Amino acid sequence: MTARTPKNNAAPQIPPIHGESFLRMSWRVIKAKPTRVIGLVIIVVFALMGIFGPLLYPHNLPINPNAIYAPPSLRYPLGTDFEGTSNLALVITGARYVLFAALMAALFTVVFGTGIGLLSGYLIGTTDTVLMRITDFILTIPGFPLLVVLSTVWNFGQPVAMGFVLGITGWGGLARAVRSQTLSLRERGFIEAARGLGLPGWHIVFFEILPNMGPYIAMNLLVSITGAIYAEVGLFYLGVVPFHVNNWGVMLNLAVFTGGAMESAKALPYLLSPLVAILLLTLGVVLFLDALDEIFNPRLREAA
Amino acid sequence: MNASEPYSAAVGAGITIRNLTVTYHTDRGIFPALKDVSLDIRPQTITGFIGESGSGKTTLAMAIMNAIRTPGLIASGSIYTDGVGDVLKLQGESLRRVHGQHFGFVFQASSNSLNPLKRIGAQLLDLGRSHGIKDPRILLKEARALAERMGMDGDRVLTSYQHELSGGMRQRAGIIFALVLRAKVVILDEPTTALDMLSQQAVLEIIRQIHEERGLTSIIITHDMGVMAEIVQRVVVLYAGRVVEEGPTQDLLQRPRHPYTKGLIDAIPRITGDLAEAKPLAGSPPDLATVPTQGCVFRDRCSLRRPVCDLVEPLAQPAHGDGLVTCHGVNAHD
Amino acid sequence: MIEVKHLVKTYPARGGILKQKPVQAVKGVSFVLPDAGAVAFIGESGCGKTTIGRILTGLESYDSGEVLYDGVNLTRLPSAERREKLRKVQLIQQDPYAALNPSRTIAKTLMAPLALEAKRQQKSKAWMASRAREVLALVGLNPEVVLPKYPHMLSGGQRQRVVIARALTVEPDVLVADEAVSMIDVSLRLGILSLLLELRNKHGIAILFITHDVAAARYVGQDGRVCVIYQGEVVEEGVTDDLIQSPVHPYSQALLSAVPVLRGLEAPGPDRYIPLGEFQQDEGTACRFAPRCRYAEERCRTEKPRTVPYGNGGHRHRCHFPVARRVVAEPLEVNS
Repeated sequence: MTARTPKNNAAPQIPPIHGESFLRMSWRVIKAKPTRVIGLVIIVVFALMGIFGPLLYPHNLPINPNAIYAPPSLRYPLGTDFEGTSNLALVITGARYVLFAALMAALFTVVFGTGIGLLSGYLIGTTDTVLMRITDFILTIPGFPLLVVLSTVWNFGQPVAMGFVLGITGWGGLARAVRSQTLSLRERGFIEAARGLGLPGWHIVFFEILPNMGPYIAMNLLVSITGAIYAEVGLFYLGVVPFHVNNWGVMLNLAVFTGGAMESAKALPYLLSPLVAILLLTLGVVLFLDALDEIFNPRLREAA
Repeated sequence: MNASEPYSAAVGAGITIRNLTVTYHTDRGIFPALKDVSLDIRPQTITGFIGESGSGKTTLAMAIMNAIRTPGLIASGSIYTDGVGDVLKLQGESLRRVHGQHFGFVFQASSNSLNPLKRIGAQLLDLGRSHGIKDPRILLKEARALAERMGMDGDRVLTSYQHELSGGMRQRAGIIFALVLRAKVVILDEPTTALDMLSQQAVLEIIRQIHEERGLTSIIITHDMGVMAEIVQRVVVLYAGRVVEEGPTQDLLQRPRHPYTKGLIDAIPRITGDLAEAKPLAGSPPDLATVPTQGCVFRDRCSLRRPVCDLVEPLAQPAHGDGLVTCHGVNAHD
Repeated sequence: MIEVKHLVKTYPARGGILKQKPVQAVKGVSFVLPDAGAVAFIGESGCGKTTIGRILTGLESYDSGEVLYDGVNLTRLPSAERREKLRKVQLIQQDPYAALNPSRTIAKTLMAPLALEAKRQQKSKAWMASRAREVLALVGLNPEVVLPKYPHMLSGGQRQRVVIARALTVEPDVLVADEAVSMIDVSLRLGILSLLLELRNKHGIAILFITHDVAAARYVGQDGRVCVIYQGEVVEEGVTDDLIQSPVHPYSQALLSAVPVLRGLEAPGPDRYIPLGEFQQDEGTACRFAPRCRYAEERCRTEKPRTVPYGNGGHRHRCHFPVARRVVAEPLEVNS
């Protein structure tokens, strides 16, 4: 067994060894396979794009009447749109809305889903019944049509609003899954032992049960991010949500319905730029997912 | 019935193992799960493989059937069994046929070796079909007879799902699966581990009776010396992939030669006599990754350790009449 | 000291389409576990012995009867006080792997209860750390090796020792060991048993030993008492070695007969017998053991036997036809 050897603690009053830190361990797991590193790099690049992207360009992107629907070139690496604006600039500045809304949606999904699932599964009884009826109700709401309807009365200019609506309709499945796992975990010996030792309920829920669902929840977080991206880009593409800001969905919509990218090759770079961005991000998520299981599951992590 | 009872060596299937080495290939390196094992398993006897977890006892049993799966690999050696030849040369269809018709394997009662969604009878028919049994009625009749032989209601067992059977009944159902194709060699993996004492004794008694009636060659894998003492005629003691001692049960129990065997016997809490005589076995079970590659593998837990143990791996020397012991600390002549 | 009087526990019928009958798991069990004493419950799986252990540790409620902890009935106490008392009764479970959280290191597993204890006793973090090392050393483990490990990196015997160490963090008065060694390699069992014996002798911790292995029960509680339980009822009880040497109830005799005989070192008892068949749980006879009993007579099927003393050594049984029989093995003289 090649467990990490504790640093030498000569004096017994030094607190027990905490092993290696979570970050260091995660990095060790990620770098074990190059694909995981690639996944992480892609995710980080997109995250940076979302945070700093709009700062790299003026508020109103420059237009160029002489380079409308220009093909990719040195000056316009991804070509231009109907006004001669660089597609690269559009993809970069448009990332913030898309990614922020998706992150919000995923956070809502995971926090609500996990929280309600844990509570329901741990407390059982009446709480469980009530929470699960609410969950069933949420599960029956068709999220996408609801968004279409809501968009007629609600201004989705703020990504938080978009994220909130996507998240609030999406946590039902996760809550059900977390609940059933909690129900089986609470019967396990170590939970009974924790109760017998007089450990408080919050400790049992958050420190004994929750870590055992770590891989599942982290995976859900990433998968909900990509899911939310598809959903919002879809909404903009369909044009059911008014455009306020530049984003990938708006680009797709304009490329197809205004630029005629389906018929002429001219607007093709305009259509493909956001699509490639989405594909790349999904690829990054998929590559990275593989590392999560090991990060959260000590049995798989046995030092290689 | 005891160990000194004569058996006829000409009938039934004996097994001859020569220089068998099995390695496990993992991320952490290549480890020998069995190293240079040579052993004769006598026909029509009950032989016991005993050892702690990690001793290689299950690996040895699987190797006998040529059923080692990745990451394990049979690196070298030969295993002859009467009527089949070298099992390690078989593959594909002929190997599959040997499993079931020559070798019957009984899984641990605790393991879920039965399909939870199918009735026992349906699973028996599947087994029959995969071995080309033309008439399923003969198979079911045989199974029913076996069930009744073991003190169960045959029809009830065949129409039950696994969860409807108690631990002891499930173990008996496992024995039906192993014997229904009339195997000559039956290998039982920890047949009583998950059972309580009464079921354990009942299952052991049934194994003994059926072994007698059918003239089988039986192999029992266990970590319980008590189970050995009850039923087995010859004991093979394994430690870290080596056979450290082998011999007839009674003689081995009365005069254990290897310090490990002695430790195992001393570690049994006894129902009568002086409790102070029971002594816990020191140290931890062997871990394949940390087993020394040079010298005796048991030396760290050994009371007879001497300098030579660090350098030279001991060779097998005769003991218990026709048995053997592998230890520097015992003199072959005493 | 724990006193249990006429304990009854019934598991309610399961609802749904397939209605099942309510199961009475414990039927009027009484016993006393003195301070630093040992009581063993022996019986087959499903006889109710596990339920008794779970009731004592507060994991399960009971329907009627009384459980007194140092003379106090906890059901009448407010829940905070009850929890406080119950902490002193710790359960050692059968499967040490399930009893440890796979996603937490041994250090974290021990620190959680120690943090509570430190708060209660106003102790420092350093006290917690030294106490964690202390309990591990007490159960025979090397703290520096074990603390940073996850449960899957330890052997079965080491895991069970960690479980015992965790129970010791709350300084218990009673350990309820429910089949605590049955999933551990036989070679390592004696180590755990002698650890339990040491906790009894040196630290005054009483042990309720629940098992199907009479020899293990004898090792931990040779001077204690054994209760043989069959289908929720104690059918025979007495001082350990007395009951082992001269059991009078046929069920005790069957259980004791089932202990493997080390042929060559021991001779089987002259009256040894082992029932081979599998039986229905409840066949409706007055004496529940009658369908499996080789000595049963008509009276056993119609008239329920009551608990009566046998001799005057505190030996009691529940059988119409008690006969002391020698069923356990006897040691042989071996000249090697």
